[in-house]
Amino acid sequence: MTVTERHVGPLLEIKGLKTHFFTQDGVVKAVDDVTFQISHGQTLGVVGESGCGKSVTSLSVMRLIDRPGRIVAGEVLLNGEDLLAKRDADMRDVRGDQVSMIFQEPMTSLNPVFTCGDQIAEAVQQHTAVSRREAWDRAIEMMRVVGIADAKRRAGEHPHQLSGGMRQRVMIAMALSTDPDLLIADEPTTALDVTIQAQILEVMRDLRTKNRMAIMLITHDLGVVAEMADEVVVMYAGKVVERADVRTVFGTPHHPYTKGLLLSIPRLDERVERLEVIKGTVPSPLNLPTGCLFKRRCPYRMRVCDTAPPYQEVGPGHFSRCWLTPAGEEPAVGADATGDEAEAAAEQLTVETR
Amino acid sequence: MTERPISEPTSAAQATTEGSMTSGGQTSAQRTAARGGAGAGAGPLLEVNDLVKHFDIRGGLLGISKLGAVRAVDGVSFSVNEGETLGLVGESGCGKTTLGKVILRLIPPTAGRVNFEGKSLFDLSSRELKAARRDIQVVFQDPYASLNPRMSVGEIVGEGLYVHGMTNKKEREAAVRDLLKRVGLNQAHIHRYPHEFSGGQRQRIGIARALALRPKFIVCDEPVSALDVSIQSQVLNLLSDLQDEFQLTYLFIAHNLAVVKHLSTRVGVMYLGKLVELSDADELYRSPAHPYTKALLSAIPVPDPTVRRERIVLKGDLPSPANPPSGCRFHTRCPMAQEICKTEEPPLRDVGGGHMSACHFAEEVTPLEIRRPVGVPA
Repeated sequence: MTVTERHVGPLLEIKGLKTHFFTQDGVVKAVDDVTFQISHGQTLGVVGESGCGKSVTSLSVMRLIDRPGRIVAGEVLLNGEDLLAKRDADMRDVRGDQVSMIFQEPMTSLNPVFTCGDQIAEAVQQHTAVSRREAWDRAIEMMRVVGIADAKRRAGEHPHQLSGGMRQRVMIAMALSTDPDLLIADEPTTALDVTIQAQILEVMRDLRTKNRMAIMLITHDLGVVAEMADEVVVMYAGKVVERADVRTVFGTPHHPYTKGLLLSIPRLDERVERLEVIKGTVPSPLNLPTGCLFKRRCPYRMRVCDTAPPYQEVGPGHFSRCWLTPAGEEPAVGADATGDEAEAAAEQLTVETR
Repeated sequence: MTERPISEPTSAAQATTEGSMTSGGQTSAQRTAARGGAGAGAGPLLEVNDLVKHFDIRGGLLGISKLGAVRAVDGVSFSVNEGETLGLVGESGCGKTTLGKVILRLIPPTAGRVNFEGKSLFDLSSRELKAARRDIQVVFQDPYASLNPRMSVGEIVGEGLYVHGMTNKKEREAAVRDLLKRVGLNQAHIHRYPHEFSGGQRQRIGIARALALRPKFIVCDEPVSALDVSIQSQVLNLLSDLQDEFQLTYLFIAHNLAVVKHLSTRVGVMYLGKLVELSDADELYRSPAHPYTKALLSAIPVPDPTVRRERIVLKGDLPSPANPPSGCRFHTRCPMAQEICKTEEPPLRDVGGGHMSACHFAEEVTPLEIRRPVGVPA
């Protein structure tokens, strides 16, 4: 157990986070002014398509951004402490101890030359003052917790001897061995088959209730989000475009992008002749449109969309970065508003989500 | 003949190739007859009969002694009717991709037969095979790996046309431009290279390439699984539009049951090299007749947080296809398994109305329980 003082308020607060990549071709604003928070024990789903910045957001929380990338602005508060202000050595204690992370591809995240047990035990010893023997026992215990049958034998095996699902369990066992407050899971089941995915999601659900652990679940799979998340953040081109509790996002989405996403997936329980599509593709991060980043693909496009839309509260706890009114109608400034008038209106409508 | 050519250049090419084929043995009359009959839209276009594909595991001192075999496809039979889409689902290692490759004759079979328009694909001479390949095309999963990075779009899409006799550059370019338009790409991009396109656009290039020779049958192997959701629906719609436009027949292989069900007329479910269930797509979802299908359905997360479903979490991992379990291959993970399942392999049988299942207890498989909150329409 981590001996941090119980901080009142959310476990993790991300405020105005900007992570940019300074490439030869220009500046890629991978994460551009992202704000959200996760409470203790809560599961937050972060959804979006490739390149929307969801993974970079999580790597920024862990401060694992390499050149040419840099966190250029914002705060990442964990239990009220700013992680971005920490020294590298202190940050190392945060990683694994308070925040753990699991990745999409378990094979590349595990060291092929050490046994699974060794790798988990190493993580335990890094973060707690225990003997080698105790760490090994803890490793086996954790492997049992995540549902690895015959954990004793498996602990002595190398990653290549395990199946993909088993490897992901080992990753989870390792991530959880230090009892973190927050687990960041970046596409944890994307590389797995559905029946194995169901097993892993079950393990995560179990552990969440037992350990009161918060989870930041990053995925492109809306089904996984619907099943796992309490609250959902939808990202598009580096920005949060919608945020609400899971039922609201799926039941009464406000942002046209969210609506489009939900309509474009084929469903098992329905039969449609044609799928709805979101036309076009995600804009190049080097050539983003002015104003609303989604406007070129949006069926509701108005002239006012040439001005950056407000981030408004469209319902209790429901936020959307769009000019449409909460009821989905033309904004009060008028669909044709431009320039200063539109900018002033956007500022007025935008809520501070701190 | 009328449905095949879409523009002058194509029909010209056709004339050339068919001319050469006549001299090569297969009569053009045969082909025409087959095509003429196809218009009726009935009868199987493709018949797969007890197809087996084993990959030998070799080892020993010289690496030549046979240690065993991976039984990737192990006795699969089904047929695909003219104009329909047959979906094939299953998890990694179930043999669905291998099956597709054998049908395409990209790899030789171990045993079994595949008939296309009543003619065995495995008994063709190389000349006949070349002709058959015009009719059977493929769209691959990975749009990054399946396009040659050193060839322009025009060369990629036009290569098949060239090989099959359209040697006039101008004609070919016109045909390629037409194809690009049909798959929703900008015709002006004909001289661009694959790296200049996004994943979805690359998949469209792959589809244009498959269409170039006006095939009758296309094997789509996971054509949308590498794409983002918003792009996935665009490509799925394109595939169904093209099917209507060119009267195509698809074998649609994918692991995502929702995607397969959306596009397919009938769906086959594979497990460890065997076809375990085959039925009408909606019927499969409504009343699965194999416990594996049911587990697969229950494992797919539904993008609706208000729905509560019965969940069957299968125990353990997929057994190795090199050493499959005795009897029913699913018995090691099956929640319904009995003694008989360990010893006796259940045959694929009709459990009513053409719904095929390979389970001893197919009649006892209940539909998946789905609960919606009161007041939410189904």
